[in-house]
Amino acid sequence: MGVEFEPRIIAFMCNWCTYAAADTAGVSRMQQSLNVLPIRVMCSGRVSPEMVLRAFRAGADGVLVMGCHIGDCHYSNGNHRTIKRMPLLRNLLGYTGINPERLELQWVSGAEAPRFVEVTEAFIAKIRQLGPLSQEVME
Amino acid sequence: MSGNASEGTLEEIRKLVAERLALPVQAGMGVDGVVALRALNGNVAPHVFQKGDDLSELVIEPKYPLMTLVSKLHKRFPQIRLGVVARGCDERAYIEMAKRNQIDPARLTIIGFACTAEEAQACHCLEPYPKQLLVGAPPAPGQVNPLVAEYDAMTLVERRAFWRKQFEKCIKCYGCRNICPECFCEACAMEDKAWVEPGLLAPPFPMFHLIRAMHMASRCVACRECEAACPAHIPLTVLYDLLRRDMESLLGYLPGADMDAKPPLSVTLEETPLRTEAGH
Repeated sequence: MGVEFEPRIIAFMCNWCTYAAADTAGVSRMQQSLNVLPIRVMCSGRVSPEMVLRAFRAGADGVLVMGCHIGDCHYSNGNHRTIKRMPLLRNLLGYTGINPERLELQWVSGAEAPRFVEVTEAFIAKIRQLGPLSQEVME
Repeated sequence: MSGNASEGTLEEIRKLVAERLALPVQAGMGVDGVVALRALNGNVAPHVFQKGDDLSELVIEPKYPLMTLVSKLHKRFPQIRLGVVARGCDERAYIEMAKRNQIDPARLTIIGFACTAEEAQACHCLEPYPKQLLVGAPPAPGQVNPLVAEYDAMTLVERRAFWRKQFEKCIKCYGCRNICPECFCEACAMEDKAWVEPGLLAPPFPMFHLIRAMHMASRCVACRECEAACPAHIPLTVLYDLLRRDMESLLGYLPGADMDAKPPLSVTLEETPLRTEAGH
């Protein structure tokens, strides 16, 4: 092909923690790759399985769901739903033959801008290794 | 899936139904009607048997999810007291529906009977009898669908090939959803074009089936009705069985087992903790 594969990553970020971290990372001019398309949600608990699946359906090679650490949720326990839902969804992807590594849940607080960069860069690298999702399902 | 229920079983059930119908409605077990199957003119359909009905028409085959009808009647008639002739899976469906406010336990009496060993085997049913067992003895349970283990051993590539072939057969008739006693949402995600594109069949990306599977994770009571209803013979419950297994290992939750256990995906970690770190 010659053209190097550039992963397309959809990142769902909660308004209160991860989005603030992403914002700080940007304002602080931290070096970041351009592969992440952020979608701000009010809470990681708002991210339904349908939203993740649609991201894949629409051509995302990987989906990151990010929110406040357990105990720090702006809505007390919205992320409790996320932490239960995502492992099941990952397993389901695996059962139907989609690499579950393409979906990841990460907690990034508002004060963790460097961690935000670290987590997203590591995920991009991982998806780059896995190759395009279309190779897996869409052919 | 005929299990040849003995005449004795049927007679006992009819007798119990007659007894319930004879009681004054206000009494503990008195009912306005009993939901069961009726054989008439060579066909079988759900029916609400009332006082004076010919109970010789009451049958228990083929297997049919009657709790959907109970739920509809409870909602439509807020005072009505019902009985229902129920198998193990019907009772499990009832448990999951009642805790989600689809059936009022105070207005329902279950007349439970055991399935036959043959039925249990055909359904891969591990609990082929209701807890409120009034007729028959618990038969030998069925065995876990061998496809589940076979499937578990496959590589990602093999799984993909397997399901692709299965989902390709889907004509999106929504039969699996329509027959499911646990599919009672007023707005169905599978009818929302944001999630499932109209006019498009399942592959290449099977949104329809993945959404349904995910929604079944905390609800599927393994009644096998979806699989029986599927005109394309997709082994849907293999997928749902795998998720049932995960629900049990991750959250200690087995749908249909316990009326007091809250749906774990809707409550906090304090109420239903994760059993493993789940990789995070």
